[in-house]
Amino acid sequence: MINFSIKNTLILYTFLLITILAPSQSQLLANESKSIDDQVKEISYLLMCPVCQGQSVGESNSNLAHDMRDIVRKQLEDGKSKEEILTYFTNSYGESILASPPPKGINWLLWLLPGVAIIFGGLGITLFLYKSQANKTKKQVTPQNTKPEVNNDYIKRIEEELEKDDS
Amino acid sequence: MKILSTSGKLIVLIIILSLISLMGYAIFGNRVDVKTSPLVGNKAPEFTLKTFDGEDLKLSDLKGKTILLNFWASWCMPCRQEAGALEKSWQRYKDKDVVFIGVNVWDENSNALSYLSKFGGGYSHGMDPNEEIQVDYGVGGVPETYFIDSSGKIRDKFTGPLTEKIIDYFVLKAQQPEENES
Repeated sequence: MINFSIKNTLILYTFLLITILAPSQSQLLANESKSIDDQVKEISYLLMCPVCQGQSVGESNSNLAHDMRDIVRKQLEDGKSKEEILTYFTNSYGESILASPPPKGINWLLWLLPGVAIIFGGLGITLFLYKSQANKTKKQVTPQNTKPEVNNDYIKRIEEELEKDDS
Repeated sequence: MKILSTSGKLIVLIIILSLISLMGYAIFGNRVDVKTSPLVGNKAPEFTLKTFDGEDLKLSDLKGKTILLNFWASWCMPCRQEAGALEKSWQRYKDKDVVFIGVNVWDENSNALSYLSKFGGGYSHGMDPNEEIQVDYGVGGVPETYFIDSSGKIRDKFTGPLTEKIIDYFVLKAQQPEENES
């Protein structure tokens, strides 16, 4: 039977969090050498299309998104970095142009809430499992350690009856 | 059964209080700095516009004048709605060091010319074929209008159809010395 001790569950939980949040090795290697096309694609997905609803520049087929991809390409060819290009678009359109808000000011709330929800949710599940396990164990232990109640009068009567029969 | 130690409880309390503080800031925080565009208060991005008359219109050549920079498209109904007000206002301001410029975006040349013959007015219009001017100015729809002061700084941005009153308000504001907002 699986034993849900708090320690074991927390170790498992931490391992799962690291696995989910850490970038994979293949992802890290892929970032090292990228063609201009790949970089345009990557940056385009970091920008929201200003004339579309909920679509990134990379996803949208609008004229503006198409021209924005061309501008990204041109700036990359001019030797600008990803950060410089994102800053250029942020300076024109504001932070709302970014697909993920930068972690500063009130934006911290957006970044922290999911993490906090995962941590507290995980802790809640851990405590629930631990408590259920503890209750189960308690129920199983109880019958073995306590003697059943014996009705002495009743046993006495049976013995008397048996003696009568023998005689 | 003791679920959390005292220090554990303290950490949970700190996390909860931090989140409540952030939510409080989000709801009651200072909203004075909210602008219609991040470009307002900054130097207007330089551009050279090829006008439909075949001339090159360079923003830096217009230094010392107040500029109304209007982005429009032929298929845009609110642009037609504001065309009359733009024309009337231009007639009133053209001799007062105020320059009106129309930038056509997301359009076909023939459609733009057809529109101009009906709604164009007397001021300069040009096309932004690669939408570079539009992206430099952070335009996300039409009509959008920027008001640039004589020093070349963007003083305001207005989204939606203009009226003569709105034009007067922003042009006069751009002609006045900038207030120090603290």
